[in-house]
Amino acid sequence: MESILSGLRAAVFIVIALLLCGVIFEIAGYSAPLMFESILDGAFLRRGALEQALRWALPLFITALGVVISFRAGYFNIGGQGQFYMGAIAAAFVAEWLKGSPAALVIPACFVAGMAGGALWALWPGILRIKSGADEVITTLMGNFIAAFVLVYVTAGPLKDPSGSGQQASSRPLDAAYRISNSLGLSPTIIIIAVLAGVLVWALLNRTSFGILAGLSGRNPTMVEWQGARVWRIGLASFLISGALAGLAGTIELMGPNGRLAGGFLPGHGFTAILIALVANLSVLGTAVAALFFGGLASAALFLPILAGLPSAAIDIINAAISLFITAKSGFIDRVARLGKGQWTKS
Amino acid sequence: MDEILIATLRSGTPLVYAALAGVIAQRAGIWHLGLEGLMIAGACATIVGIVLTQSVLLALIIAIAVCMLGSALLWLVVEKLKANQIIAGLGLTGLGLGGTTLAVQSIFGTQAAVSAPFGLPKIGPAFGPFESLSILALLMPVIVFLVWVMLRRTRFGLRLAASGEHPFAARSAGVNPSTMRLAALLIGGVLCALAGAELAAGSLNIFAQNMTAGRGFMGFAAAIFGAGHPIGAACAAMFFAVVGAMGIRAQIVFGDHIPHELLLSLPYIATVIGIWLSARLRGGTKALTGFGELRDQ
Repeated sequence: MESILSGLRAAVFIVIALLLCGVIFEIAGYSAPLMFESILDGAFLRRGALEQALRWALPLFITALGVVISFRAGYFNIGGQGQFYMGAIAAAFVAEWLKGSPAALVIPACFVAGMAGGALWALWPGILRIKSGADEVITTLMGNFIAAFVLVYVTAGPLKDPSGSGQQASSRPLDAAYRISNSLGLSPTIIIIAVLAGVLVWALLNRTSFGILAGLSGRNPTMVEWQGARVWRIGLASFLISGALAGLAGTIELMGPNGRLAGGFLPGHGFTAILIALVANLSVLGTAVAALFFGGLASAALFLPILAGLPSAAIDIINAAISLFITAKSGFIDRVARLGKGQWTKS
Repeated sequence: MDEILIATLRSGTPLVYAALAGVIAQRAGIWHLGLEGLMIAGACATIVGIVLTQSVLLALIIAIAVCMLGSALLWLVVEKLKANQIIAGLGLTGLGLGGTTLAVQSIFGTQAAVSAPFGLPKIGPAFGPFESLSILALLMPVIVFLVWVMLRRTRFGLRLAASGEHPFAARSAGVNPSTMRLAALLIGGVLCALAGAELAAGSLNIFAQNMTAGRGFMGFAAAIFGAGHPIGAACAAMFFAVVGAMGIRAQIVFGDHIPHELLLSLPYIATVIGIWLSARLRGGTKALTGFGELRDQ
């Protein structure tokens, strides 16, 4: 009941957000129906669209799982973008360092390094938040900007591809043996990793004491503290896990579809992952569904300028408008929800 | 020395205006993460306005109108629909970044930077080496003082603070906190428009995609670092600007010995340190805790 209503609530506000987008498109001088039709076409209807939606959805799903964990624990880790970059950077360094070793060694090592890189980039905002009370919204946001500079530094410095040309510096491409997918970005390995991550996070949140305590301390840390659990450990662990998941997504993007690092690649990844988690109302299964929707939008962002001649900023606007409305509460839907209450419902 | 001072004033002025908007919103009880989006909307509207109307005044009026509209939208979502302030603010920021890109693409048919033939009036040769600064930089201390007077010495300012600190008390004194928040956000919208105008039309007279590059968030951080006090926030914003100007200076002095990107990221690192320091000094910078309410509907 609860989850159906929260889905309904999300749907209502997504429609409102899309209406706002339509108004913005019309003001900017584009035909809103044509724009939405092209987006729908690019995202889900054209040939091969679902594969493309899935390709974008899988890394987004993994980063969004991290957002689910930290938001449930009551921490606004919005630094997914920076943790994603740091994961990719760490993995790229390890791949470079182990160059020539067998793939069976290099690929796992890269994954470990990528997750560690993401976790480390979430560690310092976590410590600053938990030990000093420094607002993690700002520290993780600033972390995103700093990580973007680190990425530019790495691609133009230590890992620079000397043969690269053009204005955007990029790192030396990975050996084909170390890639886990072709440049289309969909392979059994990536699907298995994403499914595994989803199952593990679901189990962690719903079947372990950590998950229960994290959810409780997000709502009422004082109570959890009085129950004898150490809130700071739960908080720091949720920062680390969410960072590690973003780093895992970064590693997948590096070793799968991209094959190399480029300055400022996938700039909206972290923000979209937050939206996915929120649209899903922080449930793991919902995150999978929402990730597919936003993955479709992400692939439409590539489709729009090339095939429809429309600016891809339209997708950014849709994402932003959804973010504006997604946490809104509608009095009407809540009133309907209250009719069904009266017993404890599992959310 | 003059050069560093000029560079600091030039990059600090937009930050100060954004920080003031953050302070006013914070006083009224809103954590305003939409500053970044309003600022870029202001920057874009100013440059596009100058190109289309050939008038700085008209351009500023357009920019202010756009930013006030954005502020009203945020108020509607946060106050009337009870959305989470942080997520809605980030949404407004995204709307500003995406909307300006779309607007430039639709008006000029390209995503390249737009340059205007002229910008804000300069303060003129009477100020010697500082002649190239814009009038908004000159006005900045005055505006800081006016915001201070408004917040601390007027009935309106006290009601604003009451709405943020203790809405219930405000309500029982006959003040509608929701209306006060609208007023705070609208004033903040004007300030963000000025911040954007100074950023884009203060010296370079150019608008480029994502040109705010986190300055709105820095303004927000300055409001926290400055303890929600207009003068404190202005000092914090100038501190971030000084760090940025030193970085650029160091780049000229040390050349290639220090990575360019490290110097560019200095203001962001300074912002983190600022937030950490204010948390250490005042015990927590967190106004709202928990995301639990999202699940406990």
